[in-house]
Amino acid sequence: MPDPDIPEIKRASLADDLLEALETPVLILDGNGALLRLNRAGEALTGYTLDEVTGRPIWEFLIADDEIETVRRQFLGCRAGNGPVNNTHFWIARDGRKRLMRCRHTAHRTDAGETGYVLVIATDITDQRVTEEKLTKSRSFLQSIIDASPVAVITINQEGIILSFSRQAEVTFGGKAEDVIGRNINILMPEPDRSRHDGYLGRYLETGEARIIGQARSLNAMRLNGEIFPAVLHVSEFQNGENIFVGFIEDVTDQRAAERQLSETQAQLHHTGRLGAMGEMATTIAHELNQPLTAASSLMGAAQLTLEKNTDERSARAIDLLEDSVSEIRRASDIIRQMRDFVRKRKTAPSLYDINQVVTEASTIALIGAEAEGISVTKNLQPDLPISMIDRIQIQQVVTNLIRNAIDAMTASAERHLTIATGYRDGMIEITVEDTGPGIDGAILPKLFEPFLTTKETGMGIGLSISKSIVDAHQGKLSAINKNTRGCIFTVSLPAGTRNGLSSQ
Amino acid sequence: MDYPVSKPIYLVDDDPAVQRGVAALLVAAEYAVTVFDSGDALLACMDELDFQQAIVLADVCMPGIQGLELQARLVAERPGARVIVMTAHGDVPMAVRAMRGGAVDFLEKPFSAREVTTALDRAFAIVPAASPAPVTVSPVCAANYGRLTPREREVLGEMIEGNTSKLIARNLGLSPRTVEVHRQKIMQKMQARSFAELVRMAVDLDLSR
Repeated sequence: MPDPDIPEIKRASLADDLLEALETPVLILDGNGALLRLNRAGEALTGYTLDEVTGRPIWEFLIADDEIETVRRQFLGCRAGNGPVNNTHFWIARDGRKRLMRCRHTAHRTDAGETGYVLVIATDITDQRVTEEKLTKSRSFLQSIIDASPVAVITINQEGIILSFSRQAEVTFGGKAEDVIGRNINILMPEPDRSRHDGYLGRYLETGEARIIGQARSLNAMRLNGEIFPAVLHVSEFQNGENIFVGFIEDVTDQRAAERQLSETQAQLHHTGRLGAMGEMATTIAHELNQPLTAASSLMGAAQLTLEKNTDERSARAIDLLEDSVSEIRRASDIIRQMRDFVRKRKTAPSLYDINQVVTEASTIALIGAEAEGISVTKNLQPDLPISMIDRIQIQQVVTNLIRNAIDAMTASAERHLTIATGYRDGMIEITVEDTGPGIDGAILPKLFEPFLTTKETGMGIGLSISKSIVDAHQGKLSAINKNTRGCIFTVSLPAGTRNGLSSQ
Repeated sequence: MDYPVSKPIYLVDDDPAVQRGVAALLVAAEYAVTVFDSGDALLACMDELDFQQAIVLADVCMPGIQGLELQARLVAERPGARVIVMTAHGDVPMAVRAMRGGAVDFLEKPFSAREVTTALDRAFAIVPAASPAPVTVSPVCAANYGRLTPREREVLGEMIEGNTSKLIARNLGLSPRTVEVHRQKIMQKMQARSFAELVRMAVDLDLSR
């Protein structure tokens, strides 16, 4: 029904104005698909002017060859049917560029029921499609990163329900994504976290106080088979209508085992070092005390023998007193001996070892912090060395001691280079530790391995003495020489063994 | 006081107090003593010394040439030389090494007048041989060893490694008291008057390793 308040002419002009003001391309086609009208937005998009194309069927100029059939069929379908028809196809602009258009076709009939014209309202969705494609691409890109990640990635919602479970998560926790998605994340943690996790989430949502988000946290996690393992967890949060939490979980079982082994070896070395130091001290003290005791008891013995030439009663009494004194001296010596034995009589456990491995382990520990002190290290370990019958911990103690000495010796040197090498010479396996320090004072060199001799302010002077006694006990040799250039070389020689035991020495 | 020149002793020790004390004891016991500061000092005038007559009494622990090395050199260059080494009290492994190296005896520092005279007199009783006699195990000693129980042999093995009763008890899973009883039995059965003698027997029997 025409609006009675708007004159006919005005109505036509209003529709015209509206059509031209629209930013959406609009086409009006006749029943055969020939173009009757193209608005300004349509001209702008296609590059054609209305005058150029009026009366031409659109598939002659606007539709790509491979889509002409489809578009024509849809057009005919629309003309025949009642409702509007939507379809998506490309338009080829005058300059040849393609635009993806979503078109809504509406057929308008004459009073006689024939198709008067078809209104095509088109939306350019080219950019939207590109964005969608990009999004899909970046989604799969992200997914591939997550799947390639060596760290398990799990997302949960604010109720703690698992939303996604990466491939590594499947490996780490030992279960399929489809079996855990939708379940509570607390199935992957042992008690007490298991019962408390819902509470953690609730508290965070309520108070906003983050206890774990944004920081790496060491904790225990649990595989689906119930096995508990040490893990490092990092949690991030993002908003997607609700709070989503992303957890990155790294299984550090192997790392922890390696750390534990390192610290155990370190502790063993410290323990052996301490015992060795005490043993060495005890031995030295025992020897130093035994000398005057020997002198005293011998002098008393001399006095006894001298007095025996007399036959009077007083001399006999004096001889008895001297006898008692000698036995007291012996008692003192016994006490010293027990003290020495207490720390020294440790059973050593010699076994066949690969010296290179022993040296590598010892140097790993001894070189901790060396780099920070600006020391460069070269290792020349000769492959295929014969194995050797040694007490591993004791030899590691010697190597550690020599390396620490070398590092200490270079603190004041401009050039700080440490060379650790192994080799084989004359039936002996050699370990050498070479530094670029000031070398050993000529006056000290002959006494180098005596106990309580030190050039360090804080040293006790027993390290080298212990090292020497250890190497001696292995039927080996520990020696030191100054280099012609700066620095010195310490050499440990140990008898080589064979697979069947020690070779003849 | 006259010194019987038939009993000369070469005392080798680096400690002046020990030199003085032991020399005084030996003089009082009527030996003729010559004192050397070190093994090197003794080796330096070796040609003027009479190892057929004298006994060398040397400390094992000295700077320079050590007691065992000195003993090895003497035994090699002066066959028949009789050496008694002085070891730290309880250092049985060292004593065993010395005995295996050809020492005629060992003395644990500090020692009493009787211990030193007993050891010296026994050494003088040994006739210096031109070449070292092969170690012969006395039949009595071997027979005595044969009378030890397996457990006693185990305890003896631990003893000559220098282990204390306490340590032997722990190593063998016995009480220290039981070990003491075993020790006494062993000394009795082996007819050893001293621990030193027991060690010498063990060395002769080749029990030490």
